[in-house]
Amino acid sequence: MISYFQAAILGIVQGIAEPFPVSSLGHGVILPRAFGWNIHQNDDFFLAFLVATHLATALVLLGFFWEDWKRIVAGVVRSLREREIREGDADARLGWLLIIGTIPVGLIGLLLEKPLRSVFASPASAAAFLIANGLMLLGAERLRRRVVATDAVGSDERLSHMSWRNAGFVGTAQAIGLIPGFSRSGATMSAGLVAGLSNEDAARFAFLLATPIIGAAALLKVPDLLGPAGNGVRGPALVGAICAAITTYFAVKFLLRFFETNRLTPFGIYCVTAGVLLTLAFAAGL
Amino acid sequence: MKTSRMQVMLAVLAGCVLLVIAAVYFAEPAHSLPGFFPGHVSAGSSEAAHHHVKHGIAALAVALAAFAYAWFATGPAARRSHTTA
Repeated sequence: MISYFQAAILGIVQGIAEPFPVSSLGHGVILPRAFGWNIHQNDDFFLAFLVATHLATALVLLGFFWEDWKRIVAGVVRSLREREIREGDADARLGWLLIIGTIPVGLIGLLLEKPLRSVFASPASAAAFLIANGLMLLGAERLRRRVVATDAVGSDERLSHMSWRNAGFVGTAQAIGLIPGFSRSGATMSAGLVAGLSNEDAARFAFLLATPIIGAAALLKVPDLLGPAGNGVRGPALVGAICAAITTYFAVKFLLRFFETNRLTPFGIYCVTAGVLLTLAFAAGL
Repeated sequence: MKTSRMQVMLAVLAGCVLLVIAAVYFAEPAHSLPGFFPGHVSAGSSEAAHHHVKHGIAALAVALAAFAYAWFATGPAARRSHTTA
């Protein structure tokens, strides 16, 4: 089982690592092993615990972008009523871009999440994929298209000019985050850069894409938390969820400001360094 | 974007078929699914009573996407592009 202390640590890490492009799932696999805790990724009680922390993360993301979501949902409803996306209706177009970006990862997640998690659940593979995640972030910064200065225009306005194909590409890239060690937000941001977005816009699109997919995945598994698998873990799960909620809020706030002027490079370097050190440590029998 | 009547009809047809598939996944346990459905298992399997709800949600999502495509493809913007083409 999970103690309250372990739950708090895992919640804090989940809250930071989910929006940061460093793989929350990978850290969730590696951390218990690194600390010598008897918690494994596929334990029923741990999966129930993760439901609570992911739900908390999704709720914070929803609250953080609440005003944006109200505009976006209104835009989608308006377009459905009018049976067209009017020229200049950025909210409607952004809404449909998000839907198109969510469908591929939703399908892949629904059908392959369990097998991928069971095949790649070991800390050693998570450490190796953490290196690959770092290389992906560094590679995306090298492959990025030159972005024209767009200071005068709002982020949503710029995002709404993305093509349907690119929205599908960015959304599909999220699926790599199902493998522990690869970051969902990192993959989305990397794909966004390659598709021609700025770091700021790629981060915003990644957070907007994250909300429905994390929320839906967590809601689908709420019965696990409320059922027998959640017995004895609901108290720690609540503590973990509160910690995750607090750290997610500050992490998103920090990252939105960070990506106004900075790049993915430091996160890439962190992932490669941490991945190499952990791989060596696990090989040495840690 | 020009869309032919045939594409719209195919999207509606695919949406209807996927709706039926989703309903079957929601209603039937794994052993009662048609043999060609992903997730079908024999009656003796330990997973026989399992409902593949996730497969049903996936089919429902694609069905809604197909209907949305048909909805927009027959809307005023699509008709305008047809008349100006």
